[in-house]
Amino acid sequence: MSPEAHAGASVALFLAHAVTLEEEAAERYDELADTMAVHHNEVAALFRRMAGYSRLHRDEALGRAAAEGDALPALRPWEFAWPSPESPESAALEYTHYLMDAHQALTLALAAERQAQAFYQQVADTTADSRVRALAGEFAEEEAEHARLLEDWLARHPPTPAQPKDDLDPPVAVD
Amino acid sequence: MNTAVVIRPKDYKSATKPVWCPGCGDFGVLNALTKTLAGLALAPAQVAVVSGIGCSSRLPAYTSVYGFHGVHGRALPVATGLAVARPDLTVIATGGDGDGFSIGGNHFLHACRRNVNLTYLVMDNAVYGMTKGQASPTSAADWAGSKLTPDGTGIAAFRPLEIALSAGAGFIARGFSGDPNALAGLLAEAIEYPGFAFLQVLSPCITYRPEQMEYKALVAAGFEPLADRNAAFRRLLTDDGFTTGLLYRAPVAAGGSALATAATPDDTASLAGIAREFTAARLHAANEHES
Ligand SMILES: Cc1ncc(C[n+]2csc(CCOP(=O)(O)OP(=O)(O)O)c2C)c(N)n1
Ligand code: SF4
Ligand SMILES: [Mg+2]
Repeated sequence: MSPEAHAGASVALFLAHAVTLEEEAAERYDELADTMAVHHNEVAALFRRMAGYSRLHRDEALGRAAAEGDALPALRPWEFAWPSPESPESAALEYTHYLMDAHQALTLALAAERQAQAFYQQVADTTADSRVRALAGEFAEEEAEHARLLEDWLARHPPTPAQPKDDLDPPVAVD
Repeated sequence: MNTAVVIRPKDYKSATKPVWCPGCGDFGVLNALTKTLAGLALAPAQVAVVSGIGCSSRLPAYTSVYGFHGVHGRALPVATGLAVARPDLTVIATGGDGDGFSIGGNHFLHACRRNVNLTYLVMDNAVYGMTKGQASPTSAADWAGSKLTPDGTGIAAFRPLEIALSAGAGFIARGFSGDPNALAGLLAEAIEYPGFAFLQVLSPCITYRPEQMEYKALVAAGFEPLADRNAAFRRLLTDDGFTTGLLYRAPVAAGGSALATAATPDDTASLAGIAREFTAARLHAANEHES
């Protein structure tokens, strides 16, 4: 939710955002996995794993929604109030490349986790509702934990020597 | 807020996975389209997506709605025929700037004039992506990225919104693939407009126009919907090509059909009625001939 929108948001509206954030994160990782698979890039498996984790978080958010007892409002995709053009945990499509390596894929995922953490933290810092504050604070801490795990993972996958800019088989202009 | 939404955007995607280059803007357009269809809760069997040829024109295959991947430049004639024959369907024509403004440019002008109820979404990357990077009608005159035009084409770029407005389109908007949620909202408005709706979408080709990665910093929402054609023309005089939003929406008549500059075709006519008229005209011509 944008800074103006979330100050007065209800628990149900906040959880509708959280569920969609995780759902869209999972769908984006699946989309990236499919794209990499089409281009025979093994990084596909890593994105598929990330999609699985996001789905676990989505289920967790759904569980919290069930526990809170409020029905989640069904928003149309353009009715969500995100601070960015897409929901914050959607990995940036435009920074992908068919030759990307594990280091680049993890860097992309790390940026997405940090965006999600910043989103939840901003909600926690500005909401007027104490239940939303508690939930958003908890989710922000979880995202921070994911970011720390990704940092460790990243340290084990240093950049590979061949980077996209060194593509030995670039798209050929035939004209 | 809509409480009746039950189909998720991903339900409008097919099992066929896009072969687009990772990072291509067309992924964002596909995501926007599926979000629109979910947001409007349209049954997949009530929607048809029709395209021409090009990277962008592959889009229908990646959806679960009816699709027609047609001939280069001919998305609009096919979509027009479908919309006239099946007014109950939501018809969306799609394709690229080469497909729609170059080989299909003639159809574009007349689709704007005819004002048949359909949506035309052009994924504009100012290049022929599929054929490996030649200049298109929307390439800047000095774009020298293709070996075919090493000094640029030297021809002023085609201005899709101005041309649509001149040709009589009643709904004219511009979106950006990097903002799929806003694009989904614009597309929903286009679909709900009861006439020909034109939507230019800036959709970067990261392979042949890598500099379009900068679009994210250049694009900004800025159009305020205008209902006055004169005002829309004046607004376009200061358009930088990167302003997004709904530019122009012609007023809609009480009966719900759009008041474009062209007469609106009668989409209530039955086939039997047309056949009767045709027979009557032939009989009349035969009588004239005999007398
Ligand atoms: C009749 C005909 N002429 C030429 C071609 C070759 N051709 C295929 S796609 C294309 C241009 C595609 O450009 P655009 O519509 O901008 O799509 P993009 O690939 O950029 O998405 C051309 C000229 C063709 N397929 N058919
Ligand atoms: S060549 Fe360009 S338009 Fe075609 S799929 Fe690749 S990035 Fe997209
Ligand atoms: Mg093109």
